[in-house]
Amino acid sequence: MAKRVELENRIIPYKMLYEAVKSTSGLIEGILPDKGIPSLRIGLKHLKSVMEEYIQKAREGLPIIGHHFSFPTEYLSCFDCVPVCIEAVSYLLAALLPHGSEKYYDLITNWGHPFHTCTSQKGTMGMTLDDLFKFDAIITPTAPCDNTYASYPFFSYHKKIPLIAPDLPFLKEEKSYHYHGEQIKLGLEALGKVINQEPDYSKLREAIELENQVTKLQLEIFELKKVKPCPVENMFNAMSAAAAIYLSGRTEKASFYNDMLEISKKRYKNKEHHAGEEKIRSIWPYMIIFFDLELGEWLDRHLGMSILFDIFNYNFAEPINTKSDLDTMLYGMARRSMEAPMVKQSAEFYYSFIDECVQLAKDYSADCFIFTSHIGCKQFGSVPQILREALRDEVGIPMLLIDVDVGDARFASEKIIRDKIKMFSQTLM
Amino acid sequence: MYKDPFLTASNSIKNHYIEDWQKDNKKIVGHYCTYIPEELLYAANLLPFRIRATGHEDTDLGDIYMVRFTCSFVRATLDMALRGFYDFLDGLFICNSCDHSRRMFELFDLKVFKREGFNKKVPRFYIAIPHIVTKEGFEWYKREIEELKEEIEKNYNNKKITDEDLLNSINIYNKNRSLLREIHKLRIQDAPKITGTEALQISMANSSVPKDIANQELERILNLLKEIEGLKTDAKRVMLVGSEVDDINFTKLIENSGANIVSDFLCFGIRNFLDDVKLEDGKNPLEMISRRHYYRISCPRMMDDHQRRLDFIKDEIKRAKIDGVILQRINNCDLAGCDNMLFSHELKDLEIPVLNIDREFFQADTTRLQTRIEAFIEMIS
Ligand code: SF4
Ligand code: SF4
Repeated sequence: MAKRVELENRIIPYKMLYEAVKSTSGLIEGILPDKGIPSLRIGLKHLKSVMEEYIQKAREGLPIIGHHFSFPTEYLSCFDCVPVCIEAVSYLLAALLPHGSEKYYDLITNWGHPFHTCTSQKGTMGMTLDDLFKFDAIITPTAPCDNTYASYPFFSYHKKIPLIAPDLPFLKEEKSYHYHGEQIKLGLEALGKVINQEPDYSKLREAIELENQVTKLQLEIFELKKVKPCPVENMFNAMSAAAAIYLSGRTEKASFYNDMLEISKKRYKNKEHHAGEEKIRSIWPYMIIFFDLELGEWLDRHLGMSILFDIFNYNFAEPINTKSDLDTMLYGMARRSMEAPMVKQSAEFYYSFIDECVQLAKDYSADCFIFTSHIGCKQFGSVPQILREALRDEVGIPMLLIDVDVGDARFASEKIIRDKIKMFSQTLM
Repeated sequence: MYKDPFLTASNSIKNHYIEDWQKDNKKIVGHYCTYIPEELLYAANLLPFRIRATGHEDTDLGDIYMVRFTCSFVRATLDMALRGFYDFLDGLFICNSCDHSRRMFELFDLKVFKREGFNKKVPRFYIAIPHIVTKEGFEWYKREIEELKEEIEKNYNNKKITDEDLLNSINIYNKNRSLLREIHKLRIQDAPKITGTEALQISMANSSVPKDIANQELERILNLLKEIEGLKTDAKRVMLVGSEVDDINFTKLIENSGANIVSDFLCFGIRNFLDDVKLEDGKNPLEMISRRHYYRISCPRMMDDHQRRLDFIKDEIKRAKIDGVILQRINNCDLAGCDNMLFSHELKDLEIPVLNIDREFFQADTTRLQTRIEAFIEMIS
């Protein structure tokens, strides 16, 4: 028994998350009407069962593997392990619990991590400093930002956790896909050595096939958002971001998007909007606010503002060819990694990001853009003004720029953010 | 020394050496990073100029295009470029050194080179550098440099850069580095012959003039230094580590607080000249240039190489008899900030006095900084 607890205590934050998901889920079931915010209800249900499974696996002694969000979780399905996405833990905790990750941000900041680094990593770094996570190994591509290159060495140099870093080059070209594909392979092999397992590529293949199916569902939902009113509720964006990580490579993910697609189709047929009336259609080309999970719902209900999508919900990779040899699959995996949110925009000049935003604004009849300029993301620090000019000149719509830390309310609070959006929306009406 | 004609080239962006170079209708190209292989550019008869913002305190124009979470050094250089300070450049070489400087590729393209009244066509080049030090990474980097060579040939005169051009350039650059190392020896001796501020001036001037001329000047300075007495002072011997420093007001502030910066770990400092391009029989010179640039002592952008940087600092502490280390970062510089975080714990564990400070690129907040530095110097026993 003591051994089981010791093993399970290697992932204490997952136990915290499990409790948080369970109580939020219970609250929703108890308070909300049957049809209220389905994405939240369905998403949390799946998250709960996945968390439960991972805690059980930890109890059984499987290795705990930390990974960066740009190393897709499904790539780890070739091992029997408990995957922990470093960035997702910080932000899911911030989303579900009041002041959720702040204590851990402070711990690592007091230890010397600069205030301007990314909270997505800070949270889990603080938890690891406090020994709440005991990783057996960590894998991260060398992407998408300085925060990654700068922060991850903490795990290896201070906590002595083996760190594997498949290199991900700048610029999406054929040579880059081949190089990164090879790096993924070397990375998985190196990881296997650390945890004493051979990568099981057939399991990986299955997980990737599932992801290929999910992409089709996502694209269908994405297509439906073109219509007015948008048949998908704002909360979907947050839950979809969580699903992208925690449900990756699993049947629960397909089930989540399937259910959401059916609900959206029904709304589409009835020309129905989740919250009554859609008045403003916004695109968030960057992140939504993670510490304010309720913001999307508030925008839907109080301002009639749809968030058509955010950065985690408009980057779709080509399906990966799993039917050919391993190298072909690895090539496809490299392409997918390089199309991951943020990596996609960081691994190329930002001209195509600007063009894509302009095109999305047109195709989705957006009334405005809201750009959350996150303190961590220096690689986007020179984009907002250029984007604003392009949207003004080519589409004739405005962009609101908000300086935030998307994971920490103490930088710009819920109230400040909501007030800004409210004032901005008044100028649009 | 401050007034030495060579050293004064560090006070401004342009200097008379550059003007002489241009009189012969030769091209000057700018870059931000020591991972750009200057030897290759020089072999193509281009004068590499390391972009600086020395003495420039404004970031107003730069702030229009870069949010306030970005490095004030980079914003200052953009500000200068938008005001025309860098109009003399005939080329721009950018690499993914850090997230701030790499976006200069797009900003120079869209806002600097396309601004009203500026009609020169300025070629831009981009090099993708791996973030880890591995043999596969080296192969990647080597290929990038080979492609860069072709691009340079295409863009400037369509003339092949021969092995002989490269060897000639390597020899000039190796000589340059060896002279800088000689000067460094005189800086770290018990009675240092130059201050940290002078060393920084030498380094900045050296990065803004043709290297064959720089070599003559450095030789002259070296001979001069050999003749003079070293500084016999009680000042504490410190090592300066971290973000970009190209403003002597900052080093002066430290040295006026009772310290002598006898060594550093900066990219406008000794990191630049520690290793040479090794010439091996049968190996092509371009490969050897790539090898030196890739494997030399790294900067914090190399995420798997912190141990080597720490080992270097530890050795230098012994070699230069350092009393304390000042770790500094320009606000928003995540790379130096996080490397410094680790250094600060590691050095403290070795009982080496450490001060960890943040600052803006230009000299702001002087009183706070001075107080902290003075307190640190006092604390060093
Ligand atoms: S890209 Fe931005 S949000 Fe993502 S890890 Fe880097 S700094 Fe954080
Ligand atoms: S000081 Fe840091 S952020 Fe600024 S240019 Fe240098 S590495 Fe980049």
